[in-house]
Amino acid sequence: MADTVEAKESTTLAPLHSDTTPAKWVKDNLFNNVMNSIITVALGVLVVFLLVQSFGWIANEEWEIIRVNLRNFMVGQFPSDDLWRLWSSAFILIATFGIGTSAMAHNSHDDAIEKGLVTERSSLLDLLSRFWPILAFVALVVSFAQTWPPVLGVIAGVGAIAVTRFVGWALPAPIRSRAVPMMAIGTVVSLAVLAGTSGLVAMGAGVVALAIAASELSRRFEGSEPKSTAIRTGGPIIIGAATLFIFNAIGFDGYGWEDWGGLHLTLFATVVGIASGMPIGILLAIGRRSELPVIKGFCVVFIEFVRGVPLISLLLFSSFILPLLFPPSVETPETLTRAMIVIGLFSAAYIAEIIRGGLQAVPKGQTEAAQASGMSAAKIQRLIVMPQALRAVIPAMVGQFISLFKDTSLIATIGVAEFFQYVAISNSQPEFLGKGLQLVTYAFVAVGYWSFAYTMSKESRRLEKQLGVGVR
Amino acid sequence: MSNTPTGTVNADATQILGSGRAIIEMKNVDKLFGNFQALTNINMNVGEKEVVVVIGPSGSGKSTMIRCINRLEKHDRGEIIVDGITLSNDVRNIQEIRRETGMVFQSFNLFPHLTVLDNITLAPRQVRNIAKGEAEKTAMELLERVKIPEQARKFPGQLSGGQQQRVAIARSLAMNPKVILFDEPTSALDPEMIKEVLDTMKSLANEGMTMICVTHEMGFAREVADRVVFMADGQIVEVGTPEHFFDNPQEERTKLFLSQIL
Repeated sequence: MADTVEAKESTTLAPLHSDTTPAKWVKDNLFNNVMNSIITVALGVLVVFLLVQSFGWIANEEWEIIRVNLRNFMVGQFPSDDLWRLWSSAFILIATFGIGTSAMAHNSHDDAIEKGLVTERSSLLDLLSRFWPILAFVALVVSFAQTWPPVLGVIAGVGAIAVTRFVGWALPAPIRSRAVPMMAIGTVVSLAVLAGTSGLVAMGAGVVALAIAASELSRRFEGSEPKSTAIRTGGPIIIGAATLFIFNAIGFDGYGWEDWGGLHLTLFATVVGIASGMPIGILLAIGRRSELPVIKGFCVVFIEFVRGVPLISLLLFSSFILPLLFPPSVETPETLTRAMIVIGLFSAAYIAEIIRGGLQAVPKGQTEAAQASGMSAAKIQRLIVMPQALRAVIPAMVGQFISLFKDTSLIATIGVAEFFQYVAISNSQPEFLGKGLQLVTYAFVAVGYWSFAYTMSKESRRLEKQLGVGVR
Repeated sequence: MSNTPTGTVNADATQILGSGRAIIEMKNVDKLFGNFQALTNINMNVGEKEVVVVIGPSGSGKSTMIRCINRLEKHDRGEIIVDGITLSNDVRNIQEIRRETGMVFQSFNLFPHLTVLDNITLAPRQVRNIAKGEAEKTAMELLERVKIPEQARKFPGQLSGGQQQRVAIARSLAMNPKVILFDEPTSALDPEMIKEVLDTMKSLANEGMTMICVTHEMGFAREVADRVVFMADGQIVEVGTPEHFFDNPQEERTKLFLSQIL
């Protein structure tokens, strides 16, 4: 191979339009004769006129409504005294995920070098080009801030992202290989800080501790790290228990849902929908292909029922009908809890069908080759079929995530004030009522939704490229 | 089908050449796909270190027969015994047989999301619980054996068809099987790549590996086979040494087939 790609520059042709400058291009294409010049000028005037007509209000309108309601849009009625919880949980997430993802990037960088592939370490500029829509939206939000703490908080957050990237990259390899457990711990601790020691958080801590212990144990069976298994498996459990104990001792009260709202709730609902929809969806997809009639039947009925009714009807059912069905002795979960369960199950049904499509795209020969080597059915699914199926459906899957992100606005129908609902709420406040400022608020919210949805879409394309979808 | 000679006998392929014990025994095996009888009363034994080449027109049940041996297809009647284990519906029993039986497919069926090295080490690590380092050492030795150690870190999609099939052979060897089933291993290859795969198979045969090969490569059959089994319409029509089979076939159906391909 190496000798076939030698010295090519001698035969390289000069680019056809190497001398094109913008000015020359305009002259050649837009003003090359009298008629075209007239058309160009006329269309230019029309475009400017339409732009001013359509977007002129940006300069004129009253943005006071956003300034006054900025905190509502962001976090709803979250009590001021507890805002530290939000900030701390955000910083814990930034720290663990910044370090974790950067450590993982370093690992795959090393991997690629070992495989003899050429890779470049991504720079902060790459990060900027990937997440600029969200950063732009954050900058817009900060520009509306009326006090210093949020501005300083955002600056500190951006600084933290930069710092954690270098920290994560610089960590020694054994710690880097544990990036996923680290991020899982970060998520649980962040939730614990945010919501106090509710039963859900306790359960989460337990599950994560067990999962980490199991992964450490499995490393032993892979034979890569035979030493001190007891510490590695016992350690996470002890840390998990200690975390719970400390939170119990400090006594953060179980912190309810009633005051959650705004963009914070919208993002949280989306993450819940994705995080619970994925595993349930995978199970449903596998179940639907099962040969056992009971399992298959259950999965088909569930998927087709959930997909057959509008999300809004499920939300209303969970909010208004479900409490009536609970026996009086049993405490009904809170409205928002029920809404989260509905969102999780709803996205699971859609994800299940997407994954089923991916499973069907994996050639039968793959399963047969794995079967022929004596692998168990569960391992074939986990190691051979599912990785290929998931890779094939990334575009459809991210489409579903984006759709879910926007659909969370429907929880407004059960009396929860999420991001979108504050358009209506802010416009019905006495000082803004009847001033016709809907356009301003809608524009602000639209930019918010767009910045996150577009980033997801961009990340999906990056992931496709990275995993080589379509390359067999 | 009008030119199919009638009255073909159901030949018996149970006589092993040499003195080795039987690794595979098939007794009165029938296989149905719905109403279509794919295999009729197959009787065949394969002895230790024996190379059996199965030939016959397409649709004659050659692939179905060897796929029954490791239960990629379920036979309907009769008995299949692999290395002393009788094939039953018990999953553990099936997996035990599959561990001892390597298989190489027409379409390679390498795992496209894993590197060559990971393709080879996956089954030893997952099924036999062999440590990563040891499995990789064995894998590199196998890649040396199929003469492509330099491709270890690549993905299957980056290799030529012939290289992929050699990786597939190395993958089946990694489980240290008692017998390898080849299901038309060269049919999906470009002509110039067939030789490298056949050479690999020949050297395996010379090293004493027990093999059943379904193939259309008559040169390979003549040179390497201990016995040639000719199948047509789901039955074993004729069995013999290559010399007997190619130079002095007995059955009309065999003569017709050979006249069409030679």
